[in-house]
Amino acid sequence: MTRTSALSIWRERLFATPFTGFTSMVLVVLMAWIAIPLIRWAVIDATWVGSTRADCAPGGACWVFIRARFGQFMYGLYPVDQRWRVDIAGLLVLAGVLSVVFAPQRFKLNLTLALLVVLPPLGIWLLSGGFGLAYVETREWGGLMLTLFISIYSSLIAIPLGILFALGRQSELRIIRLISVIFIEFWRGVPIIAVIFLASLLLPLILPGGIGIDRLARAVIGLGFVIAAYMAEAVRGGLQALPKGQREAATALGLSYWKATGLIVLPQALRISLPAMTNEFIALIKNTTLVLVVSILDLLGIAQASLADPNWVGMNMEAYVFSGAIYWLICFALSRWSRSLEKKRRL
Amino acid sequence: MSSFLSFINDKRVRDWFYQIALILLLVGLTVFFVRNASENMVKAGIASGFDFLWRTSGIEVPFVLTGYTQSDDIFALFWVGVANTMLVTVIAIVLATVLGFAIGIARLSSHWLLSTIAGAYIEFVRNIPLLFFVLFWYFGVIAALPQPRQSIGLFGVAFLNNRGLTMPLPDAPGNFRWAALAIFASWLGYWLASAWARRRKDRTGQDAPLLAIGIGLIVVVPALAIAWASLATRWDIPVLRGFNYRGGFVVIPEFVALLAALVTYTAGFIAEIVRGGIESVARGQTEAASALGLRPGRTLSLVVIPQALRVMTPPLTNQYLNVLKNSSFGAAIAYPDVVSLFMGSALNNTGQAIEIIAMTLAVYLVIGLAVSALMNWYNARIALVTR
Repeated sequence: MTRTSALSIWRERLFATPFTGFTSMVLVVLMAWIAIPLIRWAVIDATWVGSTRADCAPGGACWVFIRARFGQFMYGLYPVDQRWRVDIAGLLVLAGVLSVVFAPQRFKLNLTLALLVVLPPLGIWLLSGGFGLAYVETREWGGLMLTLFISIYSSLIAIPLGILFALGRQSELRIIRLISVIFIEFWRGVPIIAVIFLASLLLPLILPGGIGIDRLARAVIGLGFVIAAYMAEAVRGGLQALPKGQREAATALGLSYWKATGLIVLPQALRISLPAMTNEFIALIKNTTLVLVVSILDLLGIAQASLADPNWVGMNMEAYVFSGAIYWLICFALSRWSRSLEKKRRL
Repeated sequence: MSSFLSFINDKRVRDWFYQIALILLLVGLTVFFVRNASENMVKAGIASGFDFLWRTSGIEVPFVLTGYTQSDDIFALFWVGVANTMLVTVIAIVLATVLGFAIGIARLSSHWLLSTIAGAYIEFVRNIPLLFFVLFWYFGVIAALPQPRQSIGLFGVAFLNNRGLTMPLPDAPGNFRWAALAIFASWLGYWLASAWARRRKDRTGQDAPLLAIGIGLIVVVPALAIAWASLATRWDIPVLRGFNYRGGFVVIPEFVALLAALVTYTAGFIAEIVRGGIESVARGQTEAASALGLRPGRTLSLVVIPQALRVMTPPLTNQYLNVLKNSSFGAAIAYPDVVSLFMGSALNNTGQAIEIIAMTLAVYLVIGLAVSALMNWYNARIALVTR
């Protein structure tokens, strides 16, 4: 592209008519008014090297604070000498996802199911300990690792439950349909924060006396139920988009309800509803932040708690910018993936 | 034997068997949980039942609309929470709709920079947790506002500082009741006029000057009524005494932060709904309308917007319900909504977990059902009529 053509494109974009030009000027001034102080604060006047509060220059961001606190942002209060266990758990999940993505088509389903059986208990063992590993209580977990833990384990509850209730809502059996509708509408109608309170207060109350239930497990179960209701609606979309003839053909071939569902209907319906399910998963990651109200410190909770450190007074903006950027990167990447899935489907 | 086999192989019989088994399972689980709960409660010495509602609450609330004091009973406290939840929800829905429409239309603008900025805002807001916004506005923005002595004055009568927004309060609300009545009457008048205009158009094909009538009845009359009421009332204007403002009405910082977070967050979602709705109207429709000689403004109001509204109403309903539920995020910064007052303070004081949780969830389910009923009625009114 030559210089003149680039210039003419920008002139066309920003100054096609006097009115467009005026709007552009106003917008550019507004942007400069916001962006210049922001860039000065975040980059030009910021402090990048040092180790204590005293190294921070006034007026700019102090990224030294993030560097000093990086371990806590990632692992919470997890014992420093045990953090390799979290790293291994993370690598295992990553390896599992990659192996499913790159496996040949005909192994994909079996591999996924095998990993779903093996990985979740392995992860819990690695993180909490026992059988040769030192115990790490869940109150020591925190930070980004906890955000991801809650997101993954709540979806492990939510996805199968959501599929069941989506099928239930489409069922011909009236009572099963009614129960599914009540379940879905109830959990979708109440705020998640109330559900987290409910799970943390009610679960120990309704279990037989003497059975203790970990407070992190309570939050995961509560979130899992809510997300199951939203997942059910996402899956229902896929079920409704599938032509009725598919099930009829399967039944005509003599397949039972469960065989027709498992072999013909669900694989296609889930593929259709995958983008919608991904969007629910993004919502779940954002909503894990609410465990803060029962004093479980996920990434945002750790950021909030770090503001109370007397050695690092006044680091509010740095903590928020850093944790916000991580949430944004994760959710943005997932939403782009979901959008690309949607596009692929339409072609 | 063969008749028994054919009996259990009958699809209807098996279907009923499964359903009854499911009901028995659910009933069994419920009985199991209820028995455990009652045993655990007896052990912990907690009484069950709703008698606790009439006990004196003793809980001080910093933001009250109902005239509650801490010597009132817990049921009155419950209503304080419900009113505070409703207040922030209604205001947030109105402001988020306005901002969301503005950003959604900016996103579709032919002005490249404007639509890029709108797109960046939407991408930014949608991928960050709402709780982040709530904490950010509260601990990041409001906490950074000046002390009361250096307040930011708004027209010399309202003052913004880190203790909230201090606004003038009318001494006697009498005139405002009359103004509210006048506004209600003029809106009813507009509704009747538009119904009459629609019927006349069906009969004769003539347009009524509905826009002028609408501006008069919806904007001018209420503005005059409010202006009259404001001038005819004595105002309690806040004045700086010592370290803080005295008099007037203080909107607490928790309310300001929660409202700002709900509005900025929800607007990003509403903007996408607006964009999707307008884009769903096929371009050919606009072209056909202009081929018929309709001016762009009339094309928009007669062809595009009515059809876009049809697509937008169901997802907008979902967003409004989300605002209602998300108003509970205020509990994280101790905004006294129904969750933090009732599920938090009252539950801590009384220990009546089951009753309090049931009542709190019921609030959301009932208000939510009312909102969706209202929006469904609206949806049915604007829905495509197929004959």
